[in-house]
Amino acid sequence: MSAVLLLGGCAAPATDSTAAEGEIVIWHMEGVPNRVAVFDALAAEYNATNPDFTVRFETQQWDEIYPKIAGTAQAGNQPDILFAIPDFATYVRELGLGQPVTDVVEAIDSSQGLLSASKVAYQDGGEYWAVPLYGMVQLLWYRKDMFEAAGLEAPGTYSELLAAAEALTTDDVSGIALPAGKNLATDQVLYSLMITGGAANFFDESEGIALDSPETVAAFELYNDLLKYSPEDSGNYAWGEPQAAFNSGAAAMAIEKGQYLTPFAAESGLDPSQLGCAPIPVADNGGQSGSIYYSNGAMVLAEDENRQAAAGAFLTWLMQPENYGDFLNSEPGLFLPVTTGGADLEQWRSNEVLSTYAECVDLLLTQSETGALFGFVDGQYIEKIGLISGQNIFAQAIQQMYVNGMSPSEAAVWAEEQMKAAIE
Amino acid sequence: MSAAAKTSQAGSRKSDGPSLIRPSRNKPTSLSRDSILGYLLIAPILLVLVLTIAFPLVSAVISGFQDQRIIGTSSSFVGFETYLKVINDGSFWDSLGRSGLWVVVNVVVQTILAFCVAFSLQQRGRWSKSARTWVVLPWVIPTVAVSVIWQWLLNSNYGVLHYLLAEIGINLGSPFGEPSTALFAVILVNSWHWFPLGAVVIYGALSTVPLDVIEAARMDGAGAGRIFWSITFPILQPVLFALGLVGSLWSFNILDSIYLITAGGPIEATTTAPVFVYDLAFSEFRSSQAAAASVLTALVLGAAALLFVRFGRPAENV
Repeated sequence: MSAVLLLGGCAAPATDSTAAEGEIVIWHMEGVPNRVAVFDALAAEYNATNPDFTVRFETQQWDEIYPKIAGTAQAGNQPDILFAIPDFATYVRELGLGQPVTDVVEAIDSSQGLLSASKVAYQDGGEYWAVPLYGMVQLLWYRKDMFEAAGLEAPGTYSELLAAAEALTTDDVSGIALPAGKNLATDQVLYSLMITGGAANFFDESEGIALDSPETVAAFELYNDLLKYSPEDSGNYAWGEPQAAFNSGAAAMAIEKGQYLTPFAAESGLDPSQLGCAPIPVADNGGQSGSIYYSNGAMVLAEDENRQAAAGAFLTWLMQPENYGDFLNSEPGLFLPVTTGGADLEQWRSNEVLSTYAECVDLLLTQSETGALFGFVDGQYIEKIGLISGQNIFAQAIQQMYVNGMSPSEAAVWAEEQMKAAIE
Repeated sequence: MSAAAKTSQAGSRKSDGPSLIRPSRNKPTSLSRDSILGYLLIAPILLVLVLTIAFPLVSAVISGFQDQRIIGTSSSFVGFETYLKVINDGSFWDSLGRSGLWVVVNVVVQTILAFCVAFSLQQRGRWSKSARTWVVLPWVIPTVAVSVIWQWLLNSNYGVLHYLLAEIGINLGSPFGEPSTALFAVILVNSWHWFPLGAVVIYGALSTVPLDVIEAARMDGAGAGRIFWSITFPILQPVLFALGLVGSLWSFNILDSIYLITAGGPIEATTTAPVFVYDLAFSEFRSSQAAAASVLTALVLGAAALLFVRFGRPAENV
């Protein structure tokens, strides 16, 4: 019975986002306390400039945002600004929400310079539908102490990665810690390996799905092989477990984004110099450098023109060099600049974490330049990509291999069928 | 049957008062001023119930006749097509089967735990006195915290439980990551979370069992088992019946702990009916199919509840 109520309840707005007169409400899904604190401090700073509309951040959860925003769309009380990633943005637009922000994006682009990868994922029909704010990219993280003890170098190719994972695995240590749960974390790591294996674009020219390719199968096979050297309960891992295993010394490698920088020294008890970072290993034949790249942006959902203008004004203010560094430092290393000059912002680079791990930060920035996201590769804009990504089909394919014993080629065929069914 | 139980049941037969199990069939022949006032007084809560239960229910039934994908987007009337799609989907029936298993095992495990704890709480002494307070702790811990605690306890790298069992030569493996164990592992977590509710209710009911009757039975030579089945159990039956009915329905509808721990995986090993409906609505964005599945689930659940009432109801009101 509650299943009925649950569904029915979703028709109603879960949260009243109605803003006070003269106030812009911003929904974001960055609920980590240090991020919330910086966002609120920036809002206070902006409000102190006496704008026509003050701003207020409200924290939401990724797990809940899909039904919540659908509820607000029906009730017409959506927030004025909504943080988004490209595939989520397609979902929000499907609800009939979202205003073009082309003028704001072009103004920021002309003054600050925006990285191409950050903005193309929001471009459709000649308009931009979100203002890029920060990027996220993955690297291969490795424990230098363990690599040195084993006499290994950082792996650069699929086969080197697999060999290193095997060599580093002992009774007490896993060569690598990978997520294999039905979640976005698993999707992301697999897709990074697909990119470096040459399988970034799995849509054909008519936007049909063509996942069952040798490159995809090779990436699936690698992931499945690597899981043999990952902790035995990887089937239930998401983001936190591999990082905890890595920092505790229970795993020698992991593939993740820049959130590994801040807690490494404190949690591992090692000198920061023992944190190794390398580009995601590429396929042995014909691989290309890269990683999954998330351009996190801000969609303007306000329908009133004055509120739209006020939302644009705040986002423009946020992207000014004197404010942008503080914003990025809400999560040092995870939030990467999307402006061409952002990498050199003194305000950002002088952060203690970033200066301690400067080499890895530079590598993260380099990876940003070749990053990609499925559905948005090389200027694509697959409108229905949200229907695919919401189901964690990549993660389910991994589980089919890891748990059900499917072969990589069978898993690729299975995933392709699931994706086709998802957009029917 | 004991004398006490017989006396109690005979008493209930003679009773003309309203019964919780069999409502009075007396109907008012005309509306008096008092009854009008009565209806007026309950009108607000009836209105609230209509808005919060009937409206979503009707809305879900109607949505099941449509082909809506994302909630709030346009849709067309497709007759029974969406319902048939769900009925012909093997995953739906599999999820219902898992829900059945989920309910049965949860009820059995929680009942056993609750009885053990309730009997322990009845003992005299300082330990049982203090236990009356802290035994409810698992119940008051938020589900999110319970899920995180158990995931960390059983983690292969740093889980305390995993480590302790390994020390005595037991490899716990991956209880949440193996299809063969995942459902039972989540059931145990859920049972640990909710059994204090049953324990408190049963403990309360046990305190109504007349001690002098038990003492008399004991003097007649009845053993502990005979006393339980002939005296205690018949008196507890109405409470157990209500607890079983409400607890089963409650348990069936649990989504949060399953989703937080396994998200319905690995593969579909822990995809119960509520998880199936949630995934349809918010992962696959097939809101009409989710509505149809929830309506069908409600029908199956309603039928199961009726069967439970029909066959599980105590023979007499005690």
